[in-house]
Amino acid sequence: MEEGASGTVTSLASMFPADEAQKAARRVQDTIAEKHRELGRVRGFIADNAGLVNLVQKLPEELHHDVMVPFGKAAFFPGRLIHTNEFMVLLGEGYYAERTSKQTVEILRRRGKALETHVDSLKSMIEDLKTEALFFDRTASEAAEGLVEITEELSGEESDEGASELGQKTGAPSISVEDNGKVLNEDEEYDRLMSKLDELEKEELAAEAADNIEEETNEVDPDVVSDQSSFDHNLKDMEGSHSCIPPTHSEGQASNEEFLRRKQQQPALLQKFNPDDLTIASSHKDKTPLGKDPSQNLKDPNVADKSLKLPASEENDHAGSSNNEVSIQPSKPKVDSLRAFTGSIIERSPNLPINPGEPSATSSQVPGSQSSKPLSRFRMQRK
Amino acid sequence: MDNYRQEKVHKFEEFVDRRLKPDLVHAISERDKVFEQQKTFSDLRKNIENLQKNSVTSLRTLVNLGSEVYMQAEVPDTQRIFVDVGLGFHVEFTWSEALNYISLREEKLARQIEEYTHQIASIKAQIKMVCEGIRELLQLPAEVTPQEPIF
Repeated sequence: MEEGASGTVTSLASMFPADEAQKAARRVQDTIAEKHRELGRVRGFIADNAGLVNLVQKLPEELHHDVMVPFGKAAFFPGRLIHTNEFMVLLGEGYYAERTSKQTVEILRRRGKALETHVDSLKSMIEDLKTEALFFDRTASEAAEGLVEITEELSGEESDEGASELGQKTGAPSISVEDNGKVLNEDEEYDRLMSKLDELEKEELAAEAADNIEEETNEVDPDVVSDQSSFDHNLKDMEGSHSCIPPTHSEGQASNEEFLRRKQQQPALLQKFNPDDLTIASSHKDKTPLGKDPSQNLKDPNVADKSLKLPASEENDHAGSSNNEVSIQPSKPKVDSLRAFTGSIIERSPNLPINPGEPSATSSQVPGSQSSKPLSRFRMQRK
Repeated sequence: MDNYRQEKVHKFEEFVDRRLKPDLVHAISERDKVFEQQKTFSDLRKNIENLQKNSVTSLRTLVNLGSEVYMQAEVPDTQRIFVDVGLGFHVEFTWSEALNYISLREEKLARQIEEYTHQIASIKAQIKMVCEGIRELLQLPAEVTPQEPIF
């Protein structure tokens, strides 16, 4: 599936022609120059403001100051400043307030602060524009050098599959194999995959939380199987795990007996077990030992279908439908084998010792293991 | 021949864009400056006439200290007024002397404005003429003399 993903190779120059990029860079440079001019102007305002603060502070020191009083723009009268502690300050919008020297200084200081924040914002804008210009320059040079962009699309199926059970059945196995290859090849793909898988896992966990309550038993079986499989590393062992599973559901002793028998029979059981498990899941535990041979013949066709679905089976288990359960158990051996290779063993090994000895304990552990399972699966695939 | 004409047209266009149009912009901005001066002097004349009419001898006003901060100022004697005569020099006048000077100044400013207006008109005429020349260069060969009078 993923292998089919189409990759495209586009030369950077075709998307961003060098001269166009240079034009863009020039325009950014122009805006930078403009911002610099504005910065200079604002700095001038700040200097004026500082001077005015000084003046306003000094004026009240004397009762009056002799000055030339402007009369229009082109004429002066000789005169003097009086009431040197009274200032009329423009508040804006044509409103003036009469303030003392101190109050005026406060107002002017606030104005100065506003100007300084303006200067800071201008500076940061200039910085941004500079990096932008740098980017354009680099793009232009890269385009000129003939740089090529390679895009390879990750098939959306993987992410979708996690959400939908059906998709998972077919997709999950493929993902594990393909993912490994891709991961090794490309870090980016890997990261993208990781994020998708994380989302997937969250969805699964949410679904499981709802499903688990209703169908803990169903889910328990797959977990147990996986644990055992990791433990034994063999399909046969996994079959043994299946035998263990039934005890968790109904009878610990009976399951143990079956387990022992199955271990002895393991070579023949490999094929048979899947059908047996199905029967077991349906609660026909007694039949499995007795009717193994007949069950093989009858169930083998089903097994083949189920085997395809194996990878998705775990998630299906979470869903908890009766049909899913059946398919899950037969699928388990194959899944387990995949997991054993992928490294699921590590996470599940702690559960393993408990399962054979204590069927009841396995059932209790199952919910916790279940929650971890989806995670482990994906992580294993990633690794 | 065609190449030569192309070159000529190009040269004319460049002349209009690089020389005449900037000249025009410059002349217009100069004239605006003179207009502004004229306005300040006419304002001053009106103000002085107002003072005369009301026989104001002392004056209180608000002085802009910068950034729209004002302080009260007092003029004890309005008889003497210092008028800007250019180049940063201010001359002390009485009201009547100031009015005299202002009227002379206004006359001069009016002449300057006239001059600039003239200059602007001539620049515009030159631009128009060069444009006509370009058109002639481009269109004369196609239809020879009969086209000329139409332009």
